[in-house]
Amino acid sequence: MVKIYENNNDGNVITIDSLNLWYGENQALIDVSMPVMKNKITALIGPSGCGKSTLIRCMNRMNDLVNGCRIEGSMKFRGDEIYEPGADVISLRKRIGMIFQKPNPFPMTIRDNITYGPKIHGVVENDELDEIVERSLKQAVLWEEVKDRLDKPAFSLSGGQQQRLCIARTLSINPEVILMDEPTSALDPIATAKIEDLAIELQKEYTVVIVTHNMQQAARISDNTGFMYLGKMIEFDETEKIFNKPSDELTERYITGRFG
Amino acid sequence: MKNKTAVNTRKKVDHGIQKYLLTGVAATSVAIIFLIILFIFIESTEAISAIGPWEFISGTEWRPFNGSFGAFPIILGTILTTIGALIFAVPLGITSAIFLSEIASERTRNILKPVCEVFAGIPSIVYGFFGLMVIVPFIFNTFPNLAPAGFSWLAASILLGIMALPTIVSVSDDAMRSVPKSHREASVALGATHWETTRKVVIPAAFSGISAAVMLGMGRAIGETMAVVMVAGNAPNIPEPMWNVFEMIRTITSTLAKEVGEVTGLHLSALFLLALVLMAMLLLTNLTANLIMRNTKRKFETGQGMIEKHLPDNVKNVINMAKRPVMLSMAFVVVMMMASLFTDIIVSTLIAFACILFISTMPFISKRIRSLNRQRIAHLAMSASMIVVCAILFILIADITVKGIPALSWEFLTDVPRDMGRAGGILPAIVGTVQLIIGTALIALPLGILTGIYLAEFAKDNRFTKIVRSSIDILNGTPSIVFGLFGFALFVHYLGIGRTLIGGCIVLAFLILPVIIRTTEETVKAVPQELREASAAMGATKWETTAKVIVPAAMGGVVTGVILSLGRAAGETAPIMFVAAVGIKRHIEFSLFDTIMALPYYLYYLTEVPNSEEVRYGVALVLLMIVLSMFAIASMVRHHYSKKVRW
Repeated sequence: MVKIYENNNDGNVITIDSLNLWYGENQALIDVSMPVMKNKITALIGPSGCGKSTLIRCMNRMNDLVNGCRIEGSMKFRGDEIYEPGADVISLRKRIGMIFQKPNPFPMTIRDNITYGPKIHGVVENDELDEIVERSLKQAVLWEEVKDRLDKPAFSLSGGQQQRLCIARTLSINPEVILMDEPTSALDPIATAKIEDLAIELQKEYTVVIVTHNMQQAARISDNTGFMYLGKMIEFDETEKIFNKPSDELTERYITGRFG
Repeated sequence: MKNKTAVNTRKKVDHGIQKYLLTGVAATSVAIIFLIILFIFIESTEAISAIGPWEFISGTEWRPFNGSFGAFPIILGTILTTIGALIFAVPLGITSAIFLSEIASERTRNILKPVCEVFAGIPSIVYGFFGLMVIVPFIFNTFPNLAPAGFSWLAASILLGIMALPTIVSVSDDAMRSVPKSHREASVALGATHWETTRKVVIPAAFSGISAAVMLGMGRAIGETMAVVMVAGNAPNIPEPMWNVFEMIRTITSTLAKEVGEVTGLHLSALFLLALVLMAMLLLTNLTANLIMRNTKRKFETGQGMIEKHLPDNVKNVINMAKRPVMLSMAFVVVMMMASLFTDIIVSTLIAFACILFISTMPFISKRIRSLNRQRIAHLAMSASMIVVCAILFILIADITVKGIPALSWEFLTDVPRDMGRAGGILPAIVGTVQLIIGTALIALPLGILTGIYLAEFAKDNRFTKIVRSSIDILNGTPSIVFGLFGFALFVHYLGIGRTLIGGCIVLAFLILPVIIRTTEETVKAVPQELREASAAMGATKWETTAKVIVPAAMGGVVTGVILSLGRAAGETAPIMFVAAVGIKRHIEFSLFDTIMALPYYLYYLTEVPNSEEVRYGVALVLLMIVLSMFAIASMVRHHYSKKVRW
């Protein structure tokens, strides 16, 4: 059933092979395999509870924060096993950033939100920090809206702006991969469109993985799509193929809206 | 037609209940705080006019029998012991709270959190007794030349610190726990370690809650009476030199405990003035605390505080540059002062230099350590401080239990005291305490529960409600000794009925009233809105809904709160020592207008009877067991209701 996207292997930033994950007794991921290709947008779709969020949270080991979570199988980032004992989680997370479902800016100023990451990773010069703030906010297409109020609380921004601030915060530490876990599910259509445009823009410099429950979104912006169901990767292929001629019947039924 | 009239009458009755009964009950809190302040003020007018407020506050000699009433050493003593307590308790308390909230496993936390609550509920007289029997001898043995008796500022501060610890730990833990998970996730996803997340996101976000915790602890330290009076030595002198923590010291509360009840005239009036000063100090602390809390919150969210906003940039830069050197030199002076108590000036200067050198190189050292190792060191330190806190509390329980058990016997529980309390039993004290609890409950429960229900269900957002709420807040922050003073002024001085059971019950009821009101209000408010709507949709009036749906649903929480506050009343000494209790009675009385023996006051009395150690420990153990069993009953009640009511 599972077709692994084999060609263009050198372009794979992350390679997942037969990954199994348990929360206590519950198996949440069953034998999942997929690649994440460089400078592409990879979308994960599937009905609620299918494991797509769990999978994306494996990629920068956010599941470490969950008690009783156990993982088997292989997940490689640029050839290194992510779950090897002694793997450097901190630098992994620095290289693989994450955007969450709900915008979660810190209760600090806009500027402090952006400088938080660089400061953690040792940047101390004020000039350098200012540069980072400007660059990240420009990349996240937020600079024009906030440049005059960098010292205002981040909570004073609208939901969509907050989410772009979170993207800018992730960009501040120059990650290679950006994971987006349903980044637009809490936003209105206009803010959603802005985030989608931003994702397409970011793809030029970064690799993006996005979890979405919105099939149109996956179709609009992604290059590759994985369809998951009940913890299994049912089908992984180029987005066009998945949406036009899926090889699995389950995928076709989901795409055409007959379940999910 | 007949039915309709019935409904109308019912509505009218309901309306009357709401409007007059509940509003009237709620107004009693306002009346109580008004009465307390009024009585203390009236009693102190003689001193204000005879001594003069400024002379009173600034005078350095407290010799009432020579007619000199200079309260400065006493006020200073209160400030110094409080500062000492905070220096001891704040670092230890906050680091333990970090352990509890961020590092401990769920299982460890589930054990330690209730332990903190139990320790916050142990009567201050028991802490004071522990201080007297353990801390004072410890200080004497460790520094025999510096603290010739052991009774000292240091002993008082350590003890007050220990007493403030459970509150600080528990409230700070709540504050850190309420920081949303999403903040932590965002930080971790940026490659921050767990420790960096704690330090740079969780603690700043919880800061206002943590400062509230510190303020609660501080309020308790300022107003604490029985513990201080037993260990501070109570000499009304300014320490020489002023930072000499080994000197005896006297606080406002301990002066009140020692002198009220034994004096009259101007001296008594001066004591009431002292109580007024205490209330003013508490008010001032609360106001400052509020200001600081609002300012830090603002600073965290907007990057600048209230004062900073109005400063020009170059001044801000100067402040920023000067911050570190100023802090370092302050640390230098403090270390030097402390060291100079032990050795001569040259050596202490050297020690201070070494410390400053160490502190100022810390950032450079810590930068060289990998972030994960930094985390390891930090987590180790936090765990260590939790262990220290647990060890202190364990020693307290162990000391009293081990030394108290030999005193316990059937005779001890059923006989009257003999030989000034050195022998015999404590039956009259047990009976007296039970009488006090029952009387207190009869007065406080109706008032407290009805006011709580009123505030949760019926209070409109108007000025009256605001006044009621702030009265309850003030009542809640009023030190227990002030309640005692009020009772003394009202019953002994004004009504002239002397020490009576009824007076003790009234004073204790006033003392626990704010706690009962708050728990009732909180639990009633926690009842889901749907229940109210469901009842209203069937045509029930608001009063019917409250009485038949809301109150039964909130019963578990209310009963738990009531039991805990009665446990507190059972252990209070300061409020009853001038109003109801006497040291020894050889028979049991059941008259409301007679004096009583009570366990906590008996323990205090015994500390002044030589060679009564065994009985003291016995009384302390009985008191401890009463309080602990109250907690056990309360948690059983909570458990019982949590099975019955669920939403």
